[in-house]
Amino acid sequence: MSKELNLWLDKLLSDIESVKVKRNSSRRIRIDVEPRALPALLELLQGRASYVHLSAISCVDWIDDDQFELVYHVWSYETNSLVSAHTRIPREPGVYLSIYDLYEPAGFFERDIHEMYGVYFEGSPDMGKFILTEWNGPPPMRKEFDSEAFVNQTFEWENYRPQWLKDLEEEGGGISIRPEDARR
Amino acid sequence: MARIDCPAGPGNGDDVTKDKTENTLIKRDDESFPIEVRQERTNPLANVFDGLVRFCQARSMFMLHYCTGCGAIELPPAMTSRFDMERLGIQPMVTPRQADILLITGYVSIKTLKRIILTYEQMPAPKYVIGICSCTVNGGMYWQSYATAKMLKAYFPVDIYIAGCMPRPEAVIEGLKDLMGDIKTGRANSWKKYFQNYDYYLGNQQKLFGENWQTPTDIVAEAQHYNLMTDQTLGEHTALLEKHQQPLQALGMSLHGQKEKA
Repeated sequence: MSKELNLWLDKLLSDIESVKVKRNSSRRIRIDVEPRALPALLELLQGRASYVHLSAISCVDWIDDDQFELVYHVWSYETNSLVSAHTRIPREPGVYLSIYDLYEPAGFFERDIHEMYGVYFEGSPDMGKFILTEWNGPPPMRKEFDSEAFVNQTFEWENYRPQWLKDLEEEGGGISIRPEDARR
Repeated sequence: MARIDCPAGPGNGDDVTKDKTENTLIKRDDESFPIEVRQERTNPLANVFDGLVRFCQARSMFMLHYCTGCGAIELPPAMTSRFDMERLGIQPMVTPRQADILLITGYVSIKTLKRIILTYEQMPAPKYVIGICSCTVNGGMYWQSYATAKMLKAYFPVDIYIAGCMPRPEAVIEGLKDLMGDIKTGRANSWKKYFQNYDYYLGNQQKLFGENWQTPTDIVAEAQHYNLMTDQTLGEHTALLEKHQQPLQALGMSLHGQKEKA
């Protein structure tokens, strides 16, 4: 059954235009698809090939291309294979359709992506704060957010050369190999 | 294991500058912190009694391990039969109100830090704080992260740091033994620094959590109770706290999701 289904799936996907399919192994399929076709593709996979398990939605910020890449990982218990459906949406305004009506767990993933990247999913049940409930800055996983600059502006650092260490070194103790020398 | 004798405030070097811009921690050099010197009592018998009390304190400590990060994984072997912390009289405790030591094991996110401060303030004095792992000293490998607090001792005083990523159970035990030694000799009095310099610690907390930050514990009243009020206890930050402070209200009781009618 599952072999037939795999054959049928490969044939079907190769027939559809604007879909780029790459079968990485017997259990891994990568599909690149236009944003407007993605919900239809997922519905097809779910309904016809029993890709019922949405493992995750991941987001990649391609700041040089001015695009967000959304990756939908769906798993089928029938064919025992994972489909990663990649799609790219423009970075501005960063709005996309929710697939909450197809996969209910998508609500969490979309809320997470909204929090970390600022991508808004239309039709998602809740786009409120999720994990960063006490964060008021920009979405921190966007490439333009400079975490290091933020940290240097917000926090102070422990002195790495305190007086007691200098005293120890005068007596001949202390750190024998300094970290910057060890890295060289 | 590296044991760091923790002075009261951050930046215990000579390159400390006063910088009070928005979003920056308040820096302060150590000299401005009042230093507690243990007074020898005139009655020799009282000194013997004090020594006995400190010995007993050092030999029976309840430990609240606040497992924030990876370092927590070193505590089960330290507590159980292999390294057996309990032979030193240290055993885990479930609530902050009955604990003597607060162990912070690993990185502290800003959300977690709020809870840690609530926990710390609930503990009865004398209380001791141990920061385990490099993350509690200076952010460790998460130094670039927007979500973690870097220096634990900017928000409340720390008695002993056990550096390492992660320190082995031997190092943890060694640090605890150092703390016991400090208690016996009367040097472990960081909990007094919190009351004596509350304005400084509260200022750093407010910088991170916002002006409306308040805890259920009335630290100023406790400082008065312990007779630890100094000129550093009150200041601009405690004044700000008083301005925003809201009286505590009892939590609403609910049954089967139905809110109690007021």
